[in-house]
Amino acid sequence: MYKFNREKSLRRTANKWTERVATVLFFFFVSIAVSAQQKSLSGTVLDESNIPVTGASVLVNGTSNAAITDVNGRFTLKNVMPDATIKISFIGYFTQNLAVKNQTMMNVVLKENVRVLDDVVVIGYGTTTRKNITGAVDQVSSKAIENRPVANVTQALQGASANLIIQQRSSNPNDNAMNINIRGVSTMGNNTPLIVIDGVVSNTNAMGDINPSDIDNVSVLKDAGSAAIYGSRSANGVILITTKTGNKDQVPVIKFSAQAGIQQPKMLFEQVHGWENAIYMNEAAANAGSSLVYTSAQIQDLYDHGDGVPFQDQILKNGLQKNYNVNVQGGSGNSSYMISAGMFDQRSNFVGPDYGVKRYNFRSNLTTQIGRLKLTGNMMYTRYENKTHTGDTGFIMVDCTRVPLYYYYKMKNDDGSLYYTNNVLSESNPMGTLEKLGTSTSDNDYITGNYSGEFKIMDGLKLKGVLGAEIRSDHRYTRQFPVWYATSLTATEATYKGGAVTLPSNDWSGKSTFLNTQLLLDYNKTFGDHTVSALAGYSDESSRYAGITVSKTYVDLDLGIPVTTTKVGTDSKLSPEDFSENSIKSFFGRANYSYKDKYYVEANMRIDKSSKFAPKYRTGYFPSIAGGWRISEEAFAESYKANVGDLKIRSSYGILGNQDGIGNYDYQTVYTMYNNTYSFNNAATSGTGFAYGNEALTWENSANFNIGIDATFLNNTLFINADYFNKQTTGILLSPVIPATFGGSVATQNLGTMQNRGWEFTANYRLKSGDFNHAFSLNVADSKNKVTKYGDEKMTTSDGVGFIIREGLALGSYFGYKTDGLFQSEEEIANSALPLNGTVVPGDVKYKNLNGDNVIDEKDRTVLGNAFPRYTFGFTYNVSFKGFDFSTMLQGVGKRDFIVRGELIEPFHSSYSYTMYKHQKDYWTPENTDARWPRLAAPGSKSNSNNFNHQSDFAMESGAYLRVKNVQLGYTLPKNLTSKVGCENLRLYIDAQNLFTLSSCSFVDPETSEFGNNMGGTGGQGGANSARNYPSLKYYGFGVDLSF
Amino acid sequence: MTKKNTNMKLKNILTIFALGSAMISMNSCVDLDTAPKNKFTDNNYWTSQLKAEAVLSMAYSQMYGADYYFNNEILSDNAFNGRAGNNEYKIMMGNAEPTNARFSGEWSTCYGGIKTCNLFLEKVDKVTDMNEATTNRLKAEARFIRAFLFYRLTNWYGDIPFFESSITVDESQVIKQTPAADVKAWVHSELNDIVQYLPTNKTQKAAERGRITQGAAIAFNARTYLYDNDFANCEIQCAKLIGTTEFGTYGLETDYSKIFQPDNEYNKEVMLDMEYVTTYRTWDQMRDLAPLTAGARLSNVAPTQELVSSYRMLDGTAWADGKGYANRDLRMDATIVHDGSSWTTQDGVTSTILTSNTSTTMDHWQGTQSTNQSVTGYYYRKNFDKTSVVGSFAAGLNLILIRYADVLLMYAESLNEQNKLTADAWNITVKPLRQRAGFDAAYCEFPGAVQANLRSDIRLERRCEFALEGTRVFDLRRWGKMDGKTTVVTGILHGDKFASTGTAFIELTPVSYDKFLFAIPQSELDINKNLVQNEEYK
Repeated sequence: MYKFNREKSLRRTANKWTERVATVLFFFFVSIAVSAQQKSLSGTVLDESNIPVTGASVLVNGTSNAAITDVNGRFTLKNVMPDATIKISFIGYFTQNLAVKNQTMMNVVLKENVRVLDDVVVIGYGTTTRKNITGAVDQVSSKAIENRPVANVTQALQGASANLIIQQRSSNPNDNAMNINIRGVSTMGNNTPLIVIDGVVSNTNAMGDINPSDIDNVSVLKDAGSAAIYGSRSANGVILITTKTGNKDQVPVIKFSAQAGIQQPKMLFEQVHGWENAIYMNEAAANAGSSLVYTSAQIQDLYDHGDGVPFQDQILKNGLQKNYNVNVQGGSGNSSYMISAGMFDQRSNFVGPDYGVKRYNFRSNLTTQIGRLKLTGNMMYTRYENKTHTGDTGFIMVDCTRVPLYYYYKMKNDDGSLYYTNNVLSESNPMGTLEKLGTSTSDNDYITGNYSGEFKIMDGLKLKGVLGAEIRSDHRYTRQFPVWYATSLTATEATYKGGAVTLPSNDWSGKSTFLNTQLLLDYNKTFGDHTVSALAGYSDESSRYAGITVSKTYVDLDLGIPVTTTKVGTDSKLSPEDFSENSIKSFFGRANYSYKDKYYVEANMRIDKSSKFAPKYRTGYFPSIAGGWRISEEAFAESYKANVGDLKIRSSYGILGNQDGIGNYDYQTVYTMYNNTYSFNNAATSGTGFAYGNEALTWENSANFNIGIDATFLNNTLFINADYFNKQTTGILLSPVIPATFGGSVATQNLGTMQNRGWEFTANYRLKSGDFNHAFSLNVADSKNKVTKYGDEKMTTSDGVGFIIREGLALGSYFGYKTDGLFQSEEEIANSALPLNGTVVPGDVKYKNLNGDNVIDEKDRTVLGNAFPRYTFGFTYNVSFKGFDFSTMLQGVGKRDFIVRGELIEPFHSSYSYTMYKHQKDYWTPENTDARWPRLAAPGSKSNSNNFNHQSDFAMESGAYLRVKNVQLGYTLPKNLTSKVGCENLRLYIDAQNLFTLSSCSFVDPETSEFGNNMGGTGGQGGANSARNYPSLKYYGFGVDLSF
Repeated sequence: MTKKNTNMKLKNILTIFALGSAMISMNSCVDLDTAPKNKFTDNNYWTSQLKAEAVLSMAYSQMYGADYYFNNEILSDNAFNGRAGNNEYKIMMGNAEPTNARFSGEWSTCYGGIKTCNLFLEKVDKVTDMNEATTNRLKAEARFIRAFLFYRLTNWYGDIPFFESSITVDESQVIKQTPAADVKAWVHSELNDIVQYLPTNKTQKAAERGRITQGAAIAFNARTYLYDNDFANCEIQCAKLIGTTEFGTYGLETDYSKIFQPDNEYNKEVMLDMEYVTTYRTWDQMRDLAPLTAGARLSNVAPTQELVSSYRMLDGTAWADGKGYANRDLRMDATIVHDGSSWTTQDGVTSTILTSNTSTTMDHWQGTQSTNQSVTGYYYRKNFDKTSVVGSFAAGLNLILIRYADVLLMYAESLNEQNKLTADAWNITVKPLRQRAGFDAAYCEFPGAVQANLRSDIRLERRCEFALEGTRVFDLRRWGKMDGKTTVVTGILHGDKFASTGTAFIELTPVSYDKFLFAIPQSELDINKNLVQNEEYK
């Protein structure tokens, strides 16, 4: 098939050549007839790097006498008048006009024309060019996404656009929890931006399901000017993903790429030596006034035997990651196509029965033109397979690192036949859990179809109908088993039955359908200096989900099928129990006017009606206006334009909406019947709980002001844009802080307001020097959040870390006591305020007495910091030299605070941890008074309670970091070599991910966050900021790109 | 193809496209007016007795919980939270600040239950398919639960916000405290009034077992008087249940340990309990209380030497160091596990539990810091459900809140404090309990009417009889007040004789529980400026 097409197209090309030659010959004879004084002219066309330009056209001005340069850049023109001028042009280069001046040989150097301002940029329901843009839009090209060893698009976008803030909460391949924020935190609810794929709204899961290598470009809409067309769901910004298509009359190109590498788990902290730990434990006990834990003989014994292998090293291993893609693009006279298939496979770093994820992607994007009708059909099928253990990842990690390196702690005997418990891990061990507890396997199918027909009614007026469907069918099957443990190293058989003794099995299956129909009328016409365009549309979106759960215990040990004693679990669900639906119906429109590519005005409007609200409060109006002024086009700026470059200022204002995070039925008071709430006479009964609704619930509104500047310098090789924004979100849905005396929760209300201000700066620079082609891209951004209306402040404590929401502060700020170093003397203690009932000694933590009374209590608490990233940046550098190419991407955060919890801060944490870590050795002793950590004191002691039971900045670390996210070095084999084997292009490369990180905290990965994108979900999402975190991963790999 | 044909074709395609879109839209469109499928709204909920009872069941589940039932023991000298740091531990250490989560947790769970009761009482009349007697009975049950919850509140916090019907959010932000005495008076009158609508434990249908009975209301009323040291009224309530079956038929189980067995639920001693059922509604606290070799995860709370010491020798003499575990009050072995106790697991495997420092099993004492094992060398036994799930200890055993034995001891104490405890009264109250505990006959007899001696006898009896049932703290507080003490528990609690390589009693961190009330939660004070903090926390 491929060969056939290729031959056909070669034939087609040949035919065209014949035509052209014939034309040239025709004119040749005609010219002979006209004049006989003409000479022939030949020459070479080169680019600035002295590389021949093939296919450039050379035309004698005022005639039809023309030639095309050959593979060596050579051309020959016959019958050229000595005083003629010739015009040399080629796409991507400045056209040159040269006088012949009697020459017969001319060598021409074409200068590259960096036409950044004419780049097509995808915007809501259409496209525009960079120079016409009035809103804040960033476009990320496929180059930034392809060939990266990333698990999904979200990871690839990290650092790619200013103020597109992406945080990976966990590196666990089976989880890959990510936060996305555009321009900071704009609501207390869900901050996830709207995801639109090829013009159809999708959900955030799609970011994980779409094949990164199918993506042509990603537009990030940040302000009201660009996003208001998406109305009620645009307040968090919009991410528009456009997939690749073929081109008409394109010779088919087959691209194949393969990539493989290993991911190394990197633990950032480690237990101290076993014998050391025994000494520390004794010291902690002695300091707490308790008797010693270890005798000197026991310590000597630990010393003599040396350390055991850390448990974490026994359960972690390198994981293999593979990625294959094949893609065919092409087109004929009226049609074009892009068909692709991809496979991504990432293995877990845990031991056990081959945990990991696999994703298979298939896509076909077809377009055909039938007269005035253009039909497009995009179809995608994704299958996602996830196999994971059934323990708790956080516990698995922390259980390992809580065990001291004593030689006599083992998880498994040498021949693997026995698992052990011990006095630290008395009911299971991580190895037993990973290898024997059971597995949870998911297989999710995800199909999207996106069909549109575009009919050209008349010149400039198009009618477009779109039907988008997204069907997601998820399935998960979990099985668990008992795990037998031996309770001592001398035991010869396992006597303790741990794990899942009830043999539970669970099947869950959920199906979501999303349908979107759109009707769009698009008008675009230029009348002289005036360009007018307008868009009107209607959209109807319906989402529906139904899930079923079957849960059984005491199933057959081997097959998992029910037996007589099998019980059906109470968490089984029929589809009415697990059902939701909602819909949005919308009208929207846009009007543009521009004059001479100098002045631009644009207005957008969207009217949304959502099923999530009561009829009276259902409709939302989201308007925006925007304007732009290309100063450099003005007459007075002529010299600026000639000497410096293009300059445009643009501004927008508008109202965006948010309804994410609002439940489908939140406006209604509902009674929910819960099974097995109570029982009488040993028979379970249902109990009913109720939740108040709020009839008046409505959209959150976000008023957005944006002002920005776009400028080019150095012959368009340097492109800079900068933006300032001010976002005021009102009507944020809040659960009002009410006294518990009320007896329950009340419905959320549109109460809160919040402000978000910030800026973005992006610079792109291309430089050519000799054979080197450099491309630099830098983005830096900041957003500053402030809760402006909340009502009574809300304090929460989670795992010993305090948070506050208070007007005037950034959302979810850390709250607690400020510390003032460590007490150095009894005298200092006598002269200081102490916590209520506190008893301290030198070496204990001293708290600042902020309110000046004689006691450290609640009133001394204050704001300690905030964990949202500020001054985020990304930097990429690409350079090519002959066949070599090198690229690197750096990404980081300039300012962020995070509080570390648990054993990483507190030695022998709350009787859970039995070991200290290397980073904790710098603790206070009378000889080491300038210590990072307080003196050792066992849990339960007054000192311990003073030092670790107060939520303080003592455990706060800086989350600022710079990470070398990606490095890639490639080599493209010379064409004359590869073409011999029928290869258009063959490139080999090696790459690495997360190669190097600069951070002030050595024992926690600063990139992981314990928060969701609304600064909520505190308490260790994925175990960030604690010893529960999955280790960070470093990737080393290689790949090959091949095209025919 | 002619141009006309092309146009026709185009039109056809457009038509098909438009029709197709429309069809798909119509078929699958979700309407803007949606209603939940798995929940009811105010309009369609109150339609049947079943639905009304479901709200009441929610109230039952909010009345009390296994967590506080067990954790309350930490607030006494009976048990010690070895894995330091839970909320009750902080209260015991005197470190509790008004932000302590027990203070806010107790408050919000009680008011949450009150809200459910009020909602039930306000809406239940909407249900038309119930007869009046049933409606009244269900209302009486709701009123009992509400009174129970208000009593929990006033007993812990003193003066509290009080209301008899749902309050609005605005009201909840400004409501003032009602004096404890007024709340208690209301509790007494409610408990008195509802008796007429309730069945006795004999007239109650079997399927209704676990619901509030006359006996429960009266016994609870007695308890509320007792905790106020109002012995005259306590006596009156207890007298309704002793020597008469008008308000129910109760008695003592012959075997103390059988009271807490799953095959003996609803026995004749049970007056009020929390209902659990295997698989469907379970509690699992024993997972962190039982010996580790019995399959427990760890020992969170451990019985103290003080409790163990209080169990006398069978001849009635006080236990002294060196006398060991044999020949002791039978209730000891039914309540706790000591070094050498035997334990039969859910799987029926019986073994000897070795808790001493020299034992090589997982139960052996490893110090008082940073350990999964019991810090005292003792583990829990009472309320271990041998039918609970291995590993998770998910138990369907009902947890008893008021036993008939309590009525007997309340009665004896009330009489004695009024200096009128006679041999006859002794013989129907304390004596049968001592007999059941296996004491020699001589020790079971009335020791003579010396009020102070009888007082210490009865107090010891209460401790041994109800140990690890979550009520010791309330006795300690009222006796402390009665005796003019300024602290609830102070000093060093101990464990078994395993410290210093087995020659000394384990010394635990000294406790300083000197506050007779809980603090009004800081979170409530922050919002409602009309609330006044209890004096001890100012």
